[in-house]
Amino acid sequence: MEKLNQLLKDGVSRRTFLAGAGLSAGTAAVATLAAGCGGGSTVTATPGPTSAPTGITDVDILNFALNLEYLEAEFYQRAVYGSGLSSADIGTSPGAVTGGAQVSFSTPALAALAKEIANDELAHVRFLRKALGSAAVDRPAIDFTDAFAALGAAADAGTPGPLIPIPSPFNPFLGEAIFLVGAFTFEDVGVTAYHGAAPLLTNSGNLAAAAGILATEGYHAAILRTALVYLGDPYLSYANDISKVRAAASTTATAGSGAEVAVSGSTIVPADINSIAFDRTTDQVMRIVYLTPPPSPSVPVAKGGFFPNGLNGKITATTT
Amino acid sequence: MEAMENDLQTAEQNKSSRRAAILMGGAALAGLALARKAEAQYQGAALDLAVLNFALNLEYLEAQFYTLATQGKTIDQAGVTITGNNGATGGIAVTPGTVTTKNSNNYASCLVPFTTPLLQEYAMETAQEERNHVTFLQTAITNANSVAMPAIDLFNSFNTLAVAAGLGSSFDPFASETNFLLGAFIFEDVGVTAYHGAAGLLSNKTYLDKAAGIMAVEAYHAGSTRSRIYGLGASAQMASQAIATLRAAADGTKNDDVGVGTDATGAATVADVDSNALAFARTTEQVRAIVYATGLPQLPPGVTDPTKAVKNGANSGGFFPAGLNGPIF
Repeated sequence: MEKLNQLLKDGVSRRTFLAGAGLSAGTAAVATLAAGCGGGSTVTATPGPTSAPTGITDVDILNFALNLEYLEAEFYQRAVYGSGLSSADIGTSPGAVTGGAQVSFSTPALAALAKEIANDELAHVRFLRKALGSAAVDRPAIDFTDAFAALGAAADAGTPGPLIPIPSPFNPFLGEAIFLVGAFTFEDVGVTAYHGAAPLLTNSGNLAAAAGILATEGYHAAILRTALVYLGDPYLSYANDISKVRAAASTTATAGSGAEVAVSGSTIVPADINSIAFDRTTDQVMRIVYLTPPPSPSVPVAKGGFFPNGLNGKITATTT
Repeated sequence: MEAMENDLQTAEQNKSSRRAAILMGGAALAGLALARKAEAQYQGAALDLAVLNFALNLEYLEAQFYTLATQGKTIDQAGVTITGNNGATGGIAVTPGTVTTKNSNNYASCLVPFTTPLLQEYAMETAQEERNHVTFLQTAITNANSVAMPAIDLFNSFNTLAVAAGLGSSFDPFASETNFLLGAFIFEDVGVTAYHGAAGLLSNKTYLDKAAGIMAVEAYHAGSTRSRIYGLGASAQMASQAIATLRAAADGTKNDDVGVGTDATGAATVADVDSNALAFARTTEQVRAIVYATGLPQLPPGVTDPTKAVKNGANSGGFFPAGLNGPIF
C-alpha cells in the first residue's frame, strides 16, 4: 500500500500525459493529513457508516472497488472499442466475460463522451491494480447478456409497473441511446459505493484515492443523467425504471428512498434532503450488482446478475 | 468573437510554458509546506471547525451566484440565514458582508435570460442544492460556531478573471445562458477539489462522510455543467479551457485543471481528472489563491527552501474582497 502515495504523486494531468511530457511528480491529493480520532462533534443529519466491519482492511475495501471497476471497464471497453480489457489488466486467473459488443455511435458527441468514460474506467482498474500490487484480485466472471436481460425484466416487472417497458431482452449494446441506459445502471451506484467506503478506509492515502475516484464517478454519472434528460423518452423512462430496481435492492439506505432520485430536468443530482449524495453499504451494492433484492426474511447472497460467480476478494457475500 | 478565439488560442499556446515556469519555482512544494503548517496550527476538533467554516464560505459564494442567476435575489432575500453564530468557542464573525453585483447591486438584473427550459430547471436545482449546503453546514458546525457570509463580489471578480484568462475586458456571467454556464464552471470544479483536499483534514468520520457526500454533489454539478458546455461547441469549450488554465496557474500546482474539449484520442474531457482518472485535490491555500484571484506564494529566484516562499497576493480579493471569514489556515 506504500505504492499508493507514489501513484498519487505520479497522477499527472491527462493533457500532459497525452503530450508525453509527464515527467515530474504532481502534488494532487498528497497534501492531506492523516485522519485521527473523532473530535466529539455533533451533526444533525443521520450519520453514515463510519467504521469497517471487524476484520475488513483497506485492501479488502479497495479490492471490492476493483471488482466494480472491472465491471465498468469491461462494459465501456466492449461498447466503445469492441474488445475487453487486455490480459495485462485482469490478473493471472481471470473469470470469463459473457456478452458485450461495440456500439454503433452516430452522434460524435456521444461517442466522445463514451470514449472518455471508457478511458477513465480503464485508468481506475490500472490504478487500483497498481496500488494493490500483489494483493489485487483477478477479474471475476462477468456477465452482460443474461444480467441486462434480467435487469430489464425486473424493471418491467416492478410495482406499480414500468414507466415505459424496456424492450425485451434489454441489450444496451444495440445502439447509442440504449447504451446510455445501460451505462446509467452503474455510475450512480459507483458514487454511492465509494461514498460508503470512504469513511471506512483507515489510511489517508487510500482515502484521498477513493475520494478522487468518487468524484470522477460523480462527473460520469452527471454526464449520463444530463444526456438522458436531453434525450428524453423512452430512454429517460427506461433509466428511471432501472433506478427503481436499484432502489428496491437497497431498501435500508438513507432517506428511505433506496438511495435513488429519479432523473429529470430538475433532478440531475441524486441526493438527500440536505443535498448530500447517498451512500451504500457493501451489502446494498452487492444486492444491486447481483440483481438480488433482499427477500423477506432476508438471506445472504454471494453471486448472481453481473457477477455469476460472485466477486473476488474478501467482501463477496452480503451479511444478511 | 474571432478576436476572442485568437486570444484563446494564444492563451492555450502559452499554457505549457507558464506551467513549466510555475513548476520550476517549486510552488508545489510550498503548497505542501503550507498544508503542514495548517496541521500544526489547528488539530482535531479545531481543525474540523476551521475546515467546515472554510467550506461554508465557498458555499455562500456558490449559493449567491446561483440564486441571483435564477431568482434575481440574494440568498438572504430567499430566506437563508447569512449571519454567523458566535457560539461556545467564540471568535466568529457574525455580521454578514454585502454582495456586489452589476448595475449598482440591482439584484433583479442578475436574473439570467434563460431560453432553454432544461437549463433553467437545472440552474434552479443547483441553486437549491447550494442553499441546502449552506444551511446544512451552519447546522452541522460544532457548538454553533458558524461564520457569517463574507463580502462577496460577483462583478469586479469576473471582470478581473476575464482579463487574466484572455477572454476580454469584462465578463457578465448573468448576461446569457452560455455565460452563466461558464460562470458556474469557474466554481464547481473548484468545489470538488476543495472538498477533496479538505476530506483528508477532517478527523471526525461523520464529518468526513458528509464532506465526501457534498463533494460528490459538486462533482455532479461540475459534470452536468461541463456536459452542457461540451454541447455548446468550440467557442464555449475554448473559454472553459482558458479558465481552467488560469485556475491551474493561480493555484500554483501542476495539477493542471482540464477544460472542456476533446483530447487527441477523440475522447471528451468532461471529467476534470488526472491521468489515473482521479479528480484533483487542492489545499485550502490553493483554493484561496483561486477565489482571491491572486496566486500562491512563490519562491524568490534561486531559493529552494519552501519556507522562504513569498506571498504575491493579499489575503483577500477576487470573489471575496474582504477575505474569507473564520480561522485562516
